[in-house]
Amino acid sequence: MAVLSVNGLTKCYKKGTNAVENVSFEVNEGEIFALIGPNGAGKTTTIRMIATLLTPTQGDAVVNGHSIVKEPAKVRENITYLPDEAGAYKTMKGIDYLYFMAGLFSSDKAQIEKYVERAVNMCGLGDRLEEKINGYSRGMIRKLLLSRAVMTRPSLAILDEATSGLDVINALEIRKTIKKLSREEGMSFLLSSHNMLEIEYVSDRVGIISHGHLLEVGRIDEIKEHYNAANLEEVFEKVVNV
Amino acid sequence: MGFGNLLKKELGQLLTRQAIFSMIFTMALFIMLGQVMGNTMGKLDELDKNDGTITLINLDTGDLSKKMLDDFRAEGTEVKLLSYSGNGDDYSSVLEENDLKSILIIPEGFSADAESGKSAKLKFVTKVTGTGLANMIDSGTDGGTPEMISDYLQKYYHDNFLDVTEEQIETYEAPSTVVQFTVANGRTAEIAPEMVSGMLMAVSVVMPMAIFFLLMMASQMIMTAISTEKIDKTLETLLSSPVSRIGVLVAKVVAAIVVALLNALTTMIGFAFYLNGMTGNKMVSMMNVGPASSEINEAINEAVTTNPVEALMQLGIGISGGQIFLVFLELFIGLAIGLCASLIIGAMATDIQSLSTLLMPVMILTMVPFFITMFMDINSMGIVPKMILYAIPFTHTYTALNNLIFQNHAAFIGGLVYQLVFLGATMYAAVKVFTTDLLFTMKLPEKQAAGKSGSLFGKGK
Ligand SMILES: Nc1ncnc2c1ncn2[C@@H]1O[C@H](COP(=O)(O)OP(=O)(O)OP(=O)(O)O)[C@@H](O)[C@H]1O
Ligand SMILES: [Mg+2]
Repeated sequence: MAVLSVNGLTKCYKKGTNAVENVSFEVNEGEIFALIGPNGAGKTTTIRMIATLLTPTQGDAVVNGHSIVKEPAKVRENITYLPDEAGAYKTMKGIDYLYFMAGLFSSDKAQIEKYVERAVNMCGLGDRLEEKINGYSRGMIRKLLLSRAVMTRPSLAILDEATSGLDVINALEIRKTIKKLSREEGMSFLLSSHNMLEIEYVSDRVGIISHGHLLEVGRIDEIKEHYNAANLEEVFEKVVNV
Repeated sequence: MGFGNLLKKELGQLLTRQAIFSMIFTMALFIMLGQVMGNTMGKLDELDKNDGTITLINLDTGDLSKKMLDDFRAEGTEVKLLSYSGNGDDYSSVLEENDLKSILIIPEGFSADAESGKSAKLKFVTKVTGTGLANMIDSGTDGGTPEMISDYLQKYYHDNFLDVTEEQIETYEAPSTVVQFTVANGRTAEIAPEMVSGMLMAVSVVMPMAIFFLLMMASQMIMTAISTEKIDKTLETLLSSPVSRIGVLVAKVVAAIVVALLNALTTMIGFAFYLNGMTGNKMVSMMNVGPASSEINEAINEAVTTNPVEALMQLGIGISGGQIFLVFLELFIGLAIGLCASLIIGAMATDIQSLSTLLMPVMILTMVPFFITMFMDINSMGIVPKMILYAIPFTHTYTALNNLIFQNHAAFIGGLVYQLVFLGATMYAAVKVFTTDLLFTMKLPEKQAAGKSGSLFGKGK
């Protein structure tokens, strides 16, 4: 069953050019789906529309049966979104940030505690959660934000450049976590990246996007076979340079 | 979900330790400044009191008053006697004709009272002219004070009533009862001049200052609240959570108003202490509607028979409850306009530098009408500067109290209507910005040139 189905999504920032044009794909339950494409391809724009931050110029997307155009409030209850280069409130302690965000998803104290506990265990920041975010490194902030994005077990977690700013070790750890959450808890992910290696490791299916057009969608092994390529990078070169 | 959660976060971010410290610091600074200024001005005050003349109207027919004036003359004081032909207590024309700031009146029965050991009645009339800072500092007296007579009477009692009874001790301690009159707007009312000038000061200085602080603080707060979310890249995470954008907006606005009020309040308390230290107790007398406690009255019993509010009304500078409501309505509308405009501007900030440039227009638009209304009368300006000032919505907030007190109904209503229309427009724009893509796509006009469309890979099509 599809958690997310995107139908003909189009976004036009300024007249004449579409940043995203007629993009359609689906993300199934328990699946990790990745949008891959070069800088400026339209990954973030697509994601922001699904996260109900931008209104589509045309088309629609449905999350758990709720349209992003007609019921954005309902959609937000079903997703979490980790933006690219996102920050956290500097004056707050890490732990307070988690409590604040958890409080937006539930008003039940016990539930909030559960969410936060989950995030605390996952982020690996330990005692440093008691410090102000002001003193966190980029990687620490990323881990904090990522753990908060999955702590509520959303139907769909949308992660834009999930591992940006993280070193090799930490990036690997994050990838493993994402995979584990999907396999063991059946969580669905929509990722974006231009790191082919990462995507090849973590995702089940990919969509290749360039200049606002979704050029190819499919399982990684199927696509590789179809293009007769050894890895995703090769596929990508072939697809984008048609 | 959880508006309280949102509000708590906004308050927490605005009320940093630094912000609280700066509030307390401002207040302390004003209080200290007032103390220092007060000391120097107190010395100046004493200098101009003993100018060796006493101007008065003597309506008393007894012997003591005549003897007193003779004694004054013998001591080298120049006694100027003026005649009074009017009826009742209307002394405005006497002050006007003789170009006096103040005059003493010895009423009928003064000698009789004093001779029988009772506290003698005195009237003291002071003229209050104009509004503004200059008047406040220069509201001295000329031609003698009731203290001179009071001192004389004290000596008289001392010499003449040797077998002291309890009542006489009281009389000795308060040898005269001064009834204060104030002349303003060409009318006379039984009220201490400190209250009148306090009221006028409230109109021309304190109120605009309070409005200015409130406007500035609130605008700055909301601008910071919105722009830091954008600059620190926290807005997208927040708005993709199960909260309504309007809820986030309202939490920010409420927090901004609360913190701005706190800020304005501490600043105003500091400023009140400052003025108080500087000018004696004028601020205090203005604030508590009761007998004014100036230096003059401290030694002398004072008889206040008229209700001060009525007396102010009599002078044509009173303010009623309904008018206070209207002033607060104006203030609220002005504040709302400032908040909506700041919200729109704040949403355009992309970095800290742009934030400080964005603050400029709001600063200018609140500051210019503030200073102009404080030192000038807008209505007496030329048509072009007047129109420009009236086009700034905040001007109407600054002039509201003045317009109400001096009964410029057309100006007040015109301003109110203009502000309401303006508020409708800015509010619509603010909600529009906050509920559409504009919140994320809007940028400063000058920044548009820096478009980055280069890509590391896949240059060709
Ligand atoms: N606010 C905006 N106003 C105008 N154009 C925009 C805006 N945001 C993005 N664009 C344009 O839309 C196109 C797609 O941008 P988008 O950010 O979606 O790309 P991306 O695939 O996320 O790239 P990256 O890998 O660099 O993050 C680009 O050409 C970009 O210049
Ligand atoms: Mg992007």
